[in-house]
Amino acid sequence: MTEKMTHIERVLASLGDQPVDRLTVYPIACGVSRRTIGDGTMLYKDWCSDPKNYAQGLISGQKYFDLDLTVGLMDLSVIAGDFGSHVRMDEQNTPFVDDPVIKGPEDYEKLQAPDINKGRSGVILEGTKIFADALKNETITSGFLEGPLLALTQSASAEKVFMDMYNNRSAVHKALGTFTEYLRDMVKGMGQSKPAACMWDYLWASYSCLGDNEYDEFEGQYKYAGGLNELVGKEGMALAIHNCADLPHLDTQIKAMKPAAYTMAYYPLIPGSPSASEVIGKGYADNCVVCGNIDPQGYVRWSQEKMQKTTMNLCQEVKTALCARGLKSKYCIASGCEVPPSVTTRLENIKTMVDTVKQYGQVTC
Amino acid sequence: MKIAQVAGFLGSGKTTFLIELAKILVDRGHRIAIIVNDVGEINVDAKFIEMYGLKAKEISGGCICCQVAGNFANTIAILYNTFKPDIVIVEPSGVAIPWGLKRAAEYSEEEMDDVIVHAPVITLVDSLRIEELMQSVRRLVETQIREADVVFINKVDSATKEKIDLSVQFSKAINPNAEIMFGSGRNNQGVKEAATLIETRTSPRYDESYEKEMLKRDYGGGA
Ligand SMILES: Nc1nc2c(ncn2[C@@H]2O[C@H](COP(=O)(O)OP(=O)(O)O)[C@@H](O)[C@H]2O)c(=O)[nH]1
Ligand SMILES: [Mg+2]
Repeated sequence: MTEKMTHIERVLASLGDQPVDRLTVYPIACGVSRRTIGDGTMLYKDWCSDPKNYAQGLISGQKYFDLDLTVGLMDLSVIAGDFGSHVRMDEQNTPFVDDPVIKGPEDYEKLQAPDINKGRSGVILEGTKIFADALKNETITSGFLEGPLLALTQSASAEKVFMDMYNNRSAVHKALGTFTEYLRDMVKGMGQSKPAACMWDYLWASYSCLGDNEYDEFEGQYKYAGGLNELVGKEGMALAIHNCADLPHLDTQIKAMKPAAYTMAYYPLIPGSPSASEVIGKGYADNCVVCGNIDPQGYVRWSQEKMQKTTMNLCQEVKTALCARGLKSKYCIASGCEVPPSVTTRLENIKTMVDTVKQYGQVTC
Repeated sequence: MKIAQVAGFLGSGKTTFLIELAKILVDRGHRIAIIVNDVGEINVDAKFIEMYGLKAKEISGGCICCQVAGNFANTIAILYNTFKPDIVIVEPSGVAIPWGLKRAAEYSEEEMDDVIVHAPVITLVDSLRIEELMQSVRRLVETQIREADVVFINKVDSATKEKIDLSVQFSKAINPNAEIMFGSGRNNQGVKEAATLIETRTSPRYDESYEKEMLKRDYGGGA
């Protein structure tokens, strides 16, 4: 099917709330894209530790699924690993920290920032340069970085970090300062790699974990994250934020931080978890392209029919809400979080989602 | 295979409680396995955990939708396929969301030939430190109380009546439907009753509740 707009035209139109031929679509298919290379047998381990493999997966996935966007999400143990936590890296599972570098309160202040070009941070910087360059005439590209509080909770027991916010407050701030300094260098490195945008994972901005004051103090608009966001702009990239929490801090992360795009999940069983129509209805999509919220596990477990039905329902919900709000295109049909990079993820479900938006994503108010 | 979650914040007495719980259930003839948090230190009865238990990756919140789910499901399936317990007692991290864990457990069904049944989710509330918890990690504690079937006010052996009352008030305000129990893992008080609950009762499955909620949204006029 030839479409009326190119990927780039469509995304740019959506960013400016201009009319589109259909809504933008982006299943966050990152690690799983490695399976679209060649015979599909590349191991996750090889994908996430080599810049060429990482970039090749994302480039190949963009073409295979015909994606409007490309984001360089790896996994959430990159920075913790580079700071000295032990990362368990199975052949195909998502890697995770199994021995954090911070074991007690005294370790917060001992953190040593590594060289950004070493380790998997280096893989991300180098790999982002490759895919951003290769796709610059195809899609809008975005680098991906873990926010400071996420980097910290991955480097320690998350529970202890939350306790230490009270019992060892200054030590926690010291560690956040160290990560933020490191991340400033990463943003500058990312700027050199020249993706169109830089996306942060700020997942602790969740009312099931932190209130507004606490989030303001330990990541927030005025503290660590605020400065990083500003630097993203200075380095010539658009700001994007990913937060797959159940109860995200939308006022802070959308209204105050003003990202160009915000990707979020939806948890129907958690009271208060905002649906697409609520987010649009409350004005969060007025100045930001909100992306969401198909259940990532659906790509592994649903039939193609169910994926099609769910995508159609979401398109309908979004179109109705956009029209009611007087908007034309400020929502991107996306997965709520990364499409699981596992070997059992059904690639045909990813394709089905994209194709369904092509077919049913026309906004006619 | 039944999954029994013992939730609660770090230090609320989960490990102490679940070891007593496991002993009682073993005495009653059950085949028990335990999954505890790898990251929190285990300072109680490590031998017992070695005999019956398995350390798992921090069963944490954060990104429950994708990253953790697969690994946890795999752990459950391995347990079933190697040891065939009839009850698995799980100690999630204090940043976990019980719904997310139920869901991940149900995924293990793809790798084993049995169905997952959930025992009531028991959330321990540390009555000794209730004031501190209501300050420092209030939202995390609230989240776990919100999702509890049973709130177990723990450490009543050492807490004052005021603290116990405050714990009850706090819990009821968040989750008026939960059953409230009182006890002490250390003195083995209330643990037998909790064991009976786990044996005899169930808690809803994630997948069924999810489908119901989505149907309600699509057809029931809810948004
Ligand atoms: N007074 C009292 N202390 C307890 C009880 N259960 C556990 N503790 C203490 O509380 C602390 C934390 O216990 P633990 O079982 O490790 O908690 P977990 O972090 O929730 O697993 C330890 O110092 C225990 O000795 C109890 O019933 N009464
Ligand atoms: Mg414990």
